[in-house]
Amino acid sequence: MSNIKHFFHQSWLLIISSFCFGLLIAVTNAAWSPRIQQNEKDKLNNLMTGLITEARNFEITIEGVEVPGKKGKITKTDIYQALDDSGSSAGFAFVAIGAGFADKIKLVIAVDAKCEKFLGFKVLSSNETPGFGDRIKEDYFGNQFKKAPAGGLQLVKTGDPETIDSEIVAISGATVSSEAVVKIFNAYIDKVKQQLPEKELKTNGQ
Amino acid sequence: MANKTSNAPLLGETFVVGLWRENPVFRLLLGMCPTLAVTAAVKPAFTMGLCVIFVLLCSNIIVSLMRNLLKPHLRILMFTLTISTFVTIADLFLRAFQPRMSEILGPYVPLIIVNCIIICRAEACASKNPLLVSIIDALGMGAGFTLTLCVLAAIREILSTGAIWEITILPAGFVPWAAMRMPVGAFITLGLLLGLVNLATKRKA
Repeated sequence: MSNIKHFFHQSWLLIISSFCFGLLIAVTNAAWSPRIQQNEKDKLNNLMTGLITEARNFEITIEGVEVPGKKGKITKTDIYQALDDSGSSAGFAFVAIGAGFADKIKLVIAVDAKCEKFLGFKVLSSNETPGFGDRIKEDYFGNQFKKAPAGGLQLVKTGDPETIDSEIVAISGATVSSEAVVKIFNAYIDKVKQQLPEKELKTNGQ
Repeated sequence: MANKTSNAPLLGETFVVGLWRENPVFRLLLGMCPTLAVTAAVKPAFTMGLCVIFVLLCSNIIVSLMRNLLKPHLRILMFTLTISTFVTIADLFLRAFQPRMSEILGPYVPLIIVNCIIICRAEACASKNPLLVSIIDALGMGAGFTLTLCVLAAIREILSTGAIWEITILPAGFVPWAAMRMPVGAFITLGLLLGLVNLATKRKA
C-alpha cells in the first residue's frame, strides 16, 4: 500500500499532465483531421486533373493493386478512372512509389483510356537533391513521358529529349533520380495493365 | 537570469539577451539541425522560426506554471512531454492550414521535439523563474532563433536563386549558385557567419 502511495506521490503530475496533453492532441486532431484529409485529396485531384485535362471527375475503379517493390516489399495503390463531361473514360491515374536517390519518390502517373500511352506524371513528394535530383519535376524531363508507350521504358544517357519514344534521356547530374522514375513507371504500368479489365479498355477504345 | 524579474528594464534585457548575447544559433550553437536543413529559402526558415516561437512560448508557460510541483528526477520527462504536445499541435496546424509549407519543411517540424533550444530554456529559465520572465525569455530566444534563420536563409536564397522571399532582386544575367541550395551551402554560410560574429564580439571585448 505504501508503495502505491509513494508511486502516486511521485508521479501524479506526470499522470495528470499525460492525460491533459493527450486530450489536447486528440481534440486538435479531431478538429483538423478532416481538413488535412481534404488537403491531401485536393492535391491528388489537382495533380491528376493537370495530367488528364479532359477529366471532370475521378473515380476509384480498382482498389489496392499490389505492386512488388525492393526486397519483395508489396505496396498498394488505387487506380482512378478519369471521366470526361460525357461520362466516358478519359484515362487512368494512380499513385506510384519507389526508391529515389535520397528518399522515396511518390509520383502520380496518368495513362490514356486504352492504357497504351502515358499522359505524363507529376511528383507528389520527393526529397531528391536540390538543383540536381529534384529536376525530375521540370518539364524538360516530364515532357518525355507524355505520349510515350505505356511499358518498357528505357533510360539513356544521350539522345534527343524531344523525340517521344520508349527512350527517356536522363537528367545530366541526376542519373540515379532519372533511373528511379523510369523504374517506378515500369514497375507499376505492368501491374496496372494486368488489373484493368480488358473489356473496360476495349470499351474505352471505341 | 534568475530573479531579474520585477522591473521593465530587466525584462527588456531578458528579451534582448536572446537576440544577441545568448543568441541560440550564433552564441550557444543550439538548434543546428533546422538551422542547416530549412534555410535554403526565407519562407520555410521564417515558418520554422514561428513554429519554434510557438513551442518555446507554450512549453515555457507550462513549465513555469508547474515549476514548484516538478520532481527533480522527473523534470526532463515532463519537459519532453510538454514540448512534444505543442510540436504535434504545430505540425497538425501546418498540415491543415499551410500544407505546402508542411511539405517543404517535411520531418523538421516534428524534429523540433529534439531541438535543444527549447529543452535548454525550460531547464535554464522556465523551471526557475515566474511566468512573465519565462514568457519574455521564450519570445527573446525565439525571435533570436528566427532572425538568425532568416539571415542565413536570405543569403542562401539570394545566391542560389537571385531572389528573396521568392521575389527576384538580382539582374537576369546572374548565374545561380546551385551549391547554396544544398547542405554544403548551409555549412559554408553558417561557418562564415559564425566567424564574423566571433570576430565582432572579440573586437568588442
